[in-house]
Amino acid sequence: MNALPNPLAQRAVRQDGSLAAPVSGGDQLARRLAKRYGDRITGSFVLPGREGQFAPLPGDMAPALAQALRARGITQLYAHQAQAWNATAAGEHVVIATPTASGKSLCYTLPVISAAIRQQAKALFLFPTKALAQDQVAELLELNNAGALGVKAFTFDGDTPGDARQAIRLHGDIVVSNPDMLHQAILPHHTKWAQFFENLRYVVIDEVHTYRGVFGSHVANVLRRLQRICAFYGVSPQFILCSATIGNPAEHASALIEQPVTAITESGAPVGEKHVLLWNPPVVNPDLGLRASARSQSNRIARTAIRAGLKTLVFAQSRLMVEVLTKYLKDVFDSDPRKPPRIRAYRGGYLPTERRAAEREMRAGQVDGIVSTSALELGVDIGALDVVVLNGYPGSVAATWQRFGRAGRRQQASLGVLVASSDPLDQYLVRHPEFFQGAPPEHARIAQDQPLILLDHIRCAAFELPFKHGELFGAQDATPWLQVLAEEGVLHQEGERFEWIADSYPANAVSLRSVADGNFVVVDRTHGRQTIVAEVDFSAAALTLYEGAIHMIQSVPYQVERLDWSGRKAYVTRTHVDYYTDAIDYTRLKVLEAFDGSPAGAGSAHHGEVHVARRVAGYKKIRYYTHENIGYGPVNLPDLELHTTAVWWQLPQRALEQAFDHRQQALDGFLAAAHALHIVATVAVMAEARDLQKAVGSGDGAWFATPDANGRAQLRSSFGEAALVTQGPFIPTLYLYDAFPGGVGLSAPLYERREDLVRLARDLVHRCDCRAGCPACVGPVLAADEHSETPLKALATRVLDLIVAL
Amino acid sequence: MNALADKLRGLRRQAGVMPAPARRPEPLAGNLSQLLGVRQRVSGIPRRTTEPGALPGRTIAPGLQLIETTGIWPPAPTDFHAGFARIDEMIASDRLLLFDTETTGLAGGTGTRAFMIGVADWHEGQFRERQLLISTLAAEAAMLDCFASWLRPDSVLVSYNGKSYDAPLLKTRFRLHHRACPLGGLTHLDLLHPVRRRWRGVWENCRLATVEHQLLRVVREDDLPGSEAPAAWLGYLRGGSATPLHRVAHHNSQDLRSLGGILGHLAANTAPLSAGAPGDGSGGFSGVAPACVHPVLGKPSHP
Repeated sequence: MNALPNPLAQRAVRQDGSLAAPVSGGDQLARRLAKRYGDRITGSFVLPGREGQFAPLPGDMAPALAQALRARGITQLYAHQAQAWNATAAGEHVVIATPTASGKSLCYTLPVISAAIRQQAKALFLFPTKALAQDQVAELLELNNAGALGVKAFTFDGDTPGDARQAIRLHGDIVVSNPDMLHQAILPHHTKWAQFFENLRYVVIDEVHTYRGVFGSHVANVLRRLQRICAFYGVSPQFILCSATIGNPAEHASALIEQPVTAITESGAPVGEKHVLLWNPPVVNPDLGLRASARSQSNRIARTAIRAGLKTLVFAQSRLMVEVLTKYLKDVFDSDPRKPPRIRAYRGGYLPTERRAAEREMRAGQVDGIVSTSALELGVDIGALDVVVLNGYPGSVAATWQRFGRAGRRQQASLGVLVASSDPLDQYLVRHPEFFQGAPPEHARIAQDQPLILLDHIRCAAFELPFKHGELFGAQDATPWLQVLAEEGVLHQEGERFEWIADSYPANAVSLRSVADGNFVVVDRTHGRQTIVAEVDFSAAALTLYEGAIHMIQSVPYQVERLDWSGRKAYVTRTHVDYYTDAIDYTRLKVLEAFDGSPAGAGSAHHGEVHVARRVAGYKKIRYYTHENIGYGPVNLPDLELHTTAVWWQLPQRALEQAFDHRQQALDGFLAAAHALHIVATVAVMAEARDLQKAVGSGDGAWFATPDANGRAQLRSSFGEAALVTQGPFIPTLYLYDAFPGGVGLSAPLYERREDLVRLARDLVHRCDCRAGCPACVGPVLAADEHSETPLKALATRVLDLIVAL
Repeated sequence: MNALADKLRGLRRQAGVMPAPARRPEPLAGNLSQLLGVRQRVSGIPRRTTEPGALPGRTIAPGLQLIETTGIWPPAPTDFHAGFARIDEMIASDRLLLFDTETTGLAGGTGTRAFMIGVADWHEGQFRERQLLISTLAAEAAMLDCFASWLRPDSVLVSYNGKSYDAPLLKTRFRLHHRACPLGGLTHLDLLHPVRRRWRGVWENCRLATVEHQLLRVVREDDLPGSEAPAAWLGYLRGGSATPLHRVAHHNSQDLRSLGGILGHLAANTAPLSAGAPGDGSGGFSGVAPACVHPVLGKPSHP
């Protein structure tokens, strides 16, 4: 099981493999790399090892289960597993947030199996992916067989054949599924599951840190529906949740299930010392600020580690990169076809049997190097490793630690290396080692009462069971939503009840991964393929799917050939151009209502509701690496409107007049500062960069500023021609806004952390190695501006200095 | 609440949701709304402003109508062996209970309900039809209870595609009302399957309308297509006319009579079970011409 990651397998390798025995640990490798590549290492620190803390198997556990555990070589528990057992036995909802490979799954399998043996209690397990669900069932079966426990566990997902479903519904003690299946197949057919629900005692939700943002908000509503159905069958199951390390496990778990949750965060699993290096590829072209590729560096580090006899895992950001890195390593280590391969790739898209084989080989220690996508980030068991190399920042501190957590042996030091790509976020992080060392992991946030998401799920819930007037859905009185649905004609109100009346199956129209259903599908027509390769939210479509756009899918560039706006389809073909495209968009914001405000340095910060009008007027072609602008294209799409929430900063005219020579300069400063704030804010709320947007304009929507071809601010009062506003009050406003209609709760936490953000943004600009500005701080700067007396970087600093807390 | 509705509409538009294809007054063609008597509603709560006309049948509980008729066609089959339905049992006609539901749609899941349950049996030498119709949603429980009271432990259910459609749907409805499903242990002859085994590939399809035409020479007059039944009932529920519900009842009644006719045909031409499973509609039965004589009209059904 995940707990005690295969001590047997590990020992076996050690005993017979004296030849392969490591010549050094991660600590020695870290020292060697630091010595040889000191200038590339921007940060290095050591996390001390920890002895294991153990507890005996609980006496109140079903004896057959204890027997099965012993048969599997588990004679005692880690302290946190015992803690989870006790809390569960006391009837509490529990969240276990301990590091990767600390044996989280035993925390829930023990109470669940024990209750299944003793009381024929049923359990529902939810995993975010099918692969994890299958792993879990395999583990359950092993434990079951070890003790002949007679507990029946099945996966129930889209691949489950129709004739097996009936048997699973009736006979499954543990049904392992995912939120999408619960939403689309189980809840809308709950009567077929009546027996299962009537005996449902535990709901286990693993990897809850993945349920954040839009997806998390949907999942929280699916859980509201689940609990509503449970109440109908007279049960209130206990929830056991697991999470990777996040800043707010108890709060997040409690937000998901809307009940108090006990958090267990101290791992009792032993870990060796862990070394971490932050690695910035060397500058190869000082004039352009061009660095060597992350790929070349990851390859070099992995090679060195494998040569030193250390089991190494490289995480790459895309499937393509997995294949490239695998090839590079195979060229070195698998040149002799007569020997079993030492390097393995692991990614989505492989057949389950291939994946199982790869996992087995890895666990058995037959593989020396693995190259993987995020597929291995979640709890797939591959045994212990010595070195983890991240080829690029995975997007959050939490995910970084989770991936680093893949390396770790009990008695020996391990090493994690983060290799920065040229992406601004990567560059920011690798230059701020304290961010990793000091900053707590991010908070996972959801907005379960987002109006459109709520409407979708009240719709689905009404299909499942009628609503009574005044009935609560979560904390909300559902009535107004029900009335909206009644007006739409899908519900019928009769007396106090609202009943489903339409001939439709609403769950099919609700995707858990988007707000409302206006999504665009991206169709790949390369070589007549005509297959869907991606989905893009309506709000992002105009910015990323205009005709001529280079659309990146998993780092692979596709060019948009045709956009069918009303059909919500974009047709693309694979391309090999050396540029990317960037939409030129005019965004005008108007403050509708300020919820809150406070002084911010010489100015003020606010949080509230805004109206956004946006037009994509054209696009720029920008060459990779040099960021040269090599052309324009026109775009002709409808304007977009958005009511959403935002956080914004303003400076009074007097402060501006003192700090800047003229308005143009102030605006340039605002746009540059917006770029920097956007980078740090994206990191702070674990958002996708496109879910959070930035803009500069006046507070009343009278004008807005956009960068022109030279990267300088241009003032516009309408979507038409540029105009210079010289009359009237001049109150430039810097906005960060949530890019979904109605918002998904990104701006409130930004407002809470407003002072931090400004400080971080200031540090980012201040410490950036560039002279005048670059994409990693204030945005691209033209060569001509490099030697300006007041470069963007200086102007941004002036703005940020003015709004930083005193 | 209107503010919320407006806000939601605005947000949905911004999220790129296509204008709702759902029921709004506009999409209904003028004449159709007239036909169904649908009026634009002032608020979310339907209000009946004109006389809807009489509902079919008589009221036996609040919101529950019973339509009861008897006839001489189809005649009761003599005791038969149910081998044609792969059931090794002799069945007496007084155990037979034919049923067919009219539902709010085909979407499936817990959101679809039956608003009419039609049941037929041979009672005192005649073909007796009893149709239950609800005129309010609240009457559903009473309808289910009444239907359950007509079932005996030895009842043999007869349906057309009822095993996979009507019975599971009713089972769900019983569940939702916290009632045990009375259909559970009963023998069920679903005539769709024996019909398919014999005539698949012979006729264009095996829908009930096709079978009754081919096998029984039934021609429906002014029949409301089954697909329009949900709209008729919804129209009434929302304050419209009851007239279309008479046509629904008529349609359901014809379904029941055809079901009886098909059963009579199969029962009369059944081979002993030892004949085994006919070869999956392999055309071997295309020549069952002698069987294709209308039991009443006496005309050959195959030219």
